[in-house]
Amino acid sequence: VTIRREDVLAIARLAAIDVQEAELPVLVAQLNRIVGYVAQLESAPAGDGTEAFVPGPTALPLREDVVRPEPLSRPPAELAPAWRGGYFVVPRLAAMEEP
Amino acid sequence: VSSPAEAARATAAALQALERRGLNATLHWSAEALEREAARVAALPAPGALQAMPIALKDNIVTDDAPTTCGSRILEGYVSPFEATAVRRLRAAGALIAAKTNLDEFAMGSSTEHSAFGRVQHPLAADRVPGGSSGGSAALVAAGAVPAALGSETGGSVRQPASFCGVVGVKPTYGRVSRYGLVAFGSSLDCISVFGRTVEEASRVLCAISGHDPLDATSLAEPPLQLPAPRTDLRGLTIGLPREYFPADLDGGVRAAADRTVEALRALGARVVEVSLPHSPYAVPAYYILAPAEASANLARYDGVRYGPPRPAAPDVQALYRAVRGRGFGSEVRRRILVGTYVLSAGYYEAYYGKAQRMRARIADDFRAVFADGVDLLFTPTTPSTAFRAGEKTADPVAMYLADIFVCPVNLAGLAALSLPIGRSEGLPVGGQLIAPAGGDALLLSAAAAVEAAVDPAGEVR
Repeated sequence: VTIRREDVLAIARLAAIDVQEAELPVLVAQLNRIVGYVAQLESAPAGDGTEAFVPGPTALPLREDVVRPEPLSRPPAELAPAWRGGYFVVPRLAAMEEP
Repeated sequence: VSSPAEAARATAAALQALERRGLNATLHWSAEALEREAARVAALPAPGALQAMPIALKDNIVTDDAPTTCGSRILEGYVSPFEATAVRRLRAAGALIAAKTNLDEFAMGSSTEHSAFGRVQHPLAADRVPGGSSGGSAALVAAGAVPAALGSETGGSVRQPASFCGVVGVKPTYGRVSRYGLVAFGSSLDCISVFGRTVEEASRVLCAISGHDPLDATSLAEPPLQLPAPRTDLRGLTIGLPREYFPADLDGGVRAAADRTVEALRALGARVVEVSLPHSPYAVPAYYILAPAEASANLARYDGVRYGPPRPAAPDVQALYRAVRGRGFGSEVRRRILVGTYVLSAGYYEAYYGKAQRMRARIADDFRAVFADGVDLLFTPTTPSTAFRAGEKTADPVAMYLADIFVCPVNLAGLAALSLPIGRSEGLPVGGQLIAPAGGDALLLSAAAAVEAAVDPAGEVR
């Protein structure tokens, strides 16, 4: 697989990252280098099973379904630029959407 | 043993001296904060297991009294409203939190050249790298400013810099130390790990921070590790040498140090056998699919709304996200997010991510098979070379990734492993790695103490 300039722009859009025109040639070359390197797995003997290996506990524990206070060292009101009546005040994102 | 106040003053003086040298290993510390730490420790009702031990923290482990930047512009000035479980346990054990240390941005790198706040110098050779991504923590311990430090591993980011800097680095079994408060990079791989000047110091710190934590669902339901008695010999143990980790093109100095250590293992009474881990050569390509895939999801939260710098003017919310992330992330983080997004995208998922997941299972099977076959521990060189020159690998990301070829298989398999200094080649430290099965942390630490006592860490090998 060869990654082209248009592919990088499409991936960057999916990843929500602005890429400047001037950086594209280097990015295209580096992504091709990385993807070309990891593509050696295609011919590697990994088996056809579908099982995945996940380290850690064999079963994820469930917490009790109870409300507990967050272990915060500062109250939520200090975590946002604005706070009113027990709620965070945030920009009205819908107003920023393209029509 | 010095008092907390004396320890704080000595640490402040050492950190200041290193700053003047231009090591660039710290991102946040102050003499005043160290004094406050000393007063807090002095007021503890009883001395703890780490009483008055100054410990530095990699700056991707959150504290509520200092910024946590992850070496990134996107988190510049961020102060967490909570503390990592590991930090709470250090404080409770009487440790002095000494400094937050420089790192590759979001722990992505093998040289600590990818920090938004400048590269970290190797403490023994200013033109070389200390390894990464926990290079600041490794450099501070190697320079003698602190006896121990926390780092984090996703693909070897403590053992590799420990090897380059000539200190001990121990990565516990996945889940042995809570990830709560470790800024997420690759959640199925991330693991808080420990640097120490000696095996004993690293072991004491690891024991203090280990144990189940209900705040981390992947934490093992096991009590804290108890400090194991150091072994004086290795009689009764079988140590495997995986042939894939001793390739023909291994650096001559690294090979000489490893050979000398193998002789020491035999002299200590271990039975040494050659084994094979046939899928290990595929660990780096598998890792560089899985880790970027997880990173691309974990780093989606840095969008200028939930986290991120003040908002630039943007015509719509998508443009806001793109602008904040485009400006805020450095080149290596952006590359990895793009690779992760690519391998998870429709049409490529099975060919890359699915295949890498299956390879991860094969790599873990290889380790399980040799341990089931009677091998107690594995021994390998930690890195294929000594510390490389700054700038030597920055233009070729794959060359940089290959610096982790002997360490990242352990992360994929969730095992415990430790790097300790086993000699010097042309003045630069060489590290040797012991690998234990999952849950074998105590055996790892006690055996490492025997190896440490038998090998001259500063002796030239060629």
